Amino acid sequence: MNEKKTSIMTKVKFTRLTFLLLFTLFAVNNPLFAQAPDGDAAAALPAGLSADPAVIAKGKEIFTGNCTSCHAVHEKVIGPALFGVWDRAPSREWIYNFVKNSTKVIKSGDPYAVKLYNEYKKTQMTSFQNYGPAEVDAVLSYINSVKPPEPPTTISTTDGGGTGTSTQADGGYTTAILTILIIVLVLILIVLGLMVNVLTKFLQDKEDLAEEDKEVVNQKSDLGKFFTSNGVIGIFIFIIVALSMKAGIDGLFTVGVQQNYQPRQPIAFSHEIHAGQYEIDCNYCHTGVRKAKSANIPSANICMNCHSAIKTESPEIAKIYKAIDFDPETGEYGENTKPIEWVRIHNLPDLAYFNHSQHVEVAKLECETCHGEIKEMEVVYQYAPLTMGWCINCHRETDVNTKGNGYYTKLVQLHKESKGGKTPMKVEDIGGLECSKCHY
Amino acid sequence: MNHNQTIKSLFLVATVAFLTGCAAKDDYTGVEYAPQMYHSTPYEPLSQITDKSQGEWLDSNPEDEHGEFYNSNPYNRKGMTMREPVAGTVKRAKYAPYRIPKDSLEMAAKVVNPLKASDEVLAKGKALYDRYCEHCHGGKGKGDGLVGKVFKGVPSYTSDAIKNKPEGHIFHVITHGKGRMGSHASQVSVEDRWKIVKYVQTLQKQ
Repeated sequence: MNEKKTSIMTKVKFTRLTFLLLFTLFAVNNPLFAQAPDGDAAAALPAGLSADPAVIAKGKEIFTGNCTSCHAVHEKVIGPALFGVWDRAPSREWIYNFVKNSTKVIKSGDPYAVKLYNEYKKTQMTSFQNYGPAEVDAVLSYINSVKPPEPPTTISTTDGGGTGTSTQADGGYTTAILTILIIVLVLILIVLGLMVNVLTKFLQDKEDLAEEDKEVVNQKSDLGKFFTSNGVIGIFIFIIVALSMKAGIDGLFTVGVQQNYQPRQPIAFSHEIHAGQYEIDCNYCHTGVRKAKSANIPSANICMNCHSAIKTESPEIAKIYKAIDFDPETGEYGENTKPIEWVRIHNLPDLAYFNHSQHVEVAKLECETCHGEIKEMEVVYQYAPLTMGWCINCHRETDVNTKGNGYYTKLVQLHKESKGGKTPMKVEDIGGLECSKCHY
Repeated sequence: MNHNQTIKSLFLVATVAFLTGCAAKDDYTGVEYAPQMYHSTPYEPLSQITDKSQGEWLDSNPEDEHGEFYNSNPYNRKGMTMREPVAGTVKRAKYAPYRIPKDSLEMAAKVVNPLKASDEVLAKGKALYDRYCEHCHGGKGKGDGLVGKVFKGVPSYTSDAIKNKPEGHIFHVITHGKGRMGSHASQVSVEDRWKIVKYVQTLQKQ
């Protein structure tokens, strides 16, 4: 008895000890329990800057409203990274003057200002006449309060690994389910076979069976005879002929139809990223779509509106730079340009006329109606068949968009008079099926 | 089955296999029906074939020394069909060409918007803004568009440096670009730029 008691006691003591240990560990790791390093921060504050949340908030407001277009805290953008500017600049007075009127400081021949001006491609900083020392100090206080970003490499690698394994696991899961299903089905088959065997044997042993039943029990399935019987051969031939006819007719219908054509382009441009992820409007690049017959392939200057600064390291973007002879290091353009040979996807036959502006600007159709979910296409393919039947069908089914379009006033009136007020005016009613609308 | 039947059935299978190979897929355009009616004889800006051997198999004019589908002007630079306007020429339009050079922002600020603000102009301006500006400058001009966040350096229209900029300044910046922003003159017409200016003015004052 005694022995037992002591053992229980030690157990209790042990659990208490572990609890205490765990708690201390938790307390050390948890920021709630850890001591805030307030004193250290205050000691490291550069002169004149404040750690007061109100000042920092004011600084943040000024910074995001006016400075972020050219400056970041820890990163060189158009102007220098501003963290530590209080140590780099010749004096605090110099910073005040530069913010107030940078041109004046540069023109005065100040060596540090001239050096900066030349280093940053002679870009002049906007003058902020309204900002005195109080505002500048608030901004500096805010900048001082922003912690440097974590190095992103570790995050991206763990991210990549995570998604990789998860997709693998998904794939394994489905195969596992399938194998289990197949095994179960095979087992059921075996069990059924066994049952049939057992039942036949049992019935054969029984003597009081009628003649007809005996025949059924002793019947042997002759597979060879079954397959060579005329009926089965007939059915087989019929199925084969029907399938080949179907395949043949389907094949004939693909002649001259380039649906699903998905060529590789010289530059791996992704509509999924540009139109999908970043929601850039189709019109931004395809500028002709509301004005002309063709939507147009954007020229490289439109690419460069963003890619002068975005993804400049990418090998695909390097192909643009090469085509327009642009040097991303110096930002200069050369003479040795070369057209980018994009592969046209929608090859409407020359015998048919199609006009984008008519359909997009006047009829106000969405691009997706004919081009499919472009926003999800990594590589664009021809979504619509672009056959005459497809065009005609749409012209039969679609109501004319007459809203706010004076051109149609008379037509709508005439249509109402001839067909009655209720019938909608389809494209075919205003000549949408006339041969010469598209073929001339 | 005698020989004749075998040949017949083989022929059927071969035709079917051939026809199912007609469909377009990946880099293959598929079989064209009457290809001479598909390919344009005149030069087309957006469909130009630079390979002289294309369509050699049905060449209707052997004297021209290239295939039926070849469609490029050898006298143009790099054989390109698309041309730039001749230097120094001016498009016939409602508006005179804008000639103020990129670095003359102060001069540009004095230019007056030829359009009067009306509901129609503002609605059109908003539509154009959403097409050409929104992905960087954001729906309300705060510089927080999806692209703007990655691009960096997109100012807010309501910032102290920008909120009082006149219409001529905005027009000039759309035309020539400023800082990181590139010129949008090739994408947006003069009239459309002035409409955008009218709308941006309302965003500056919000």
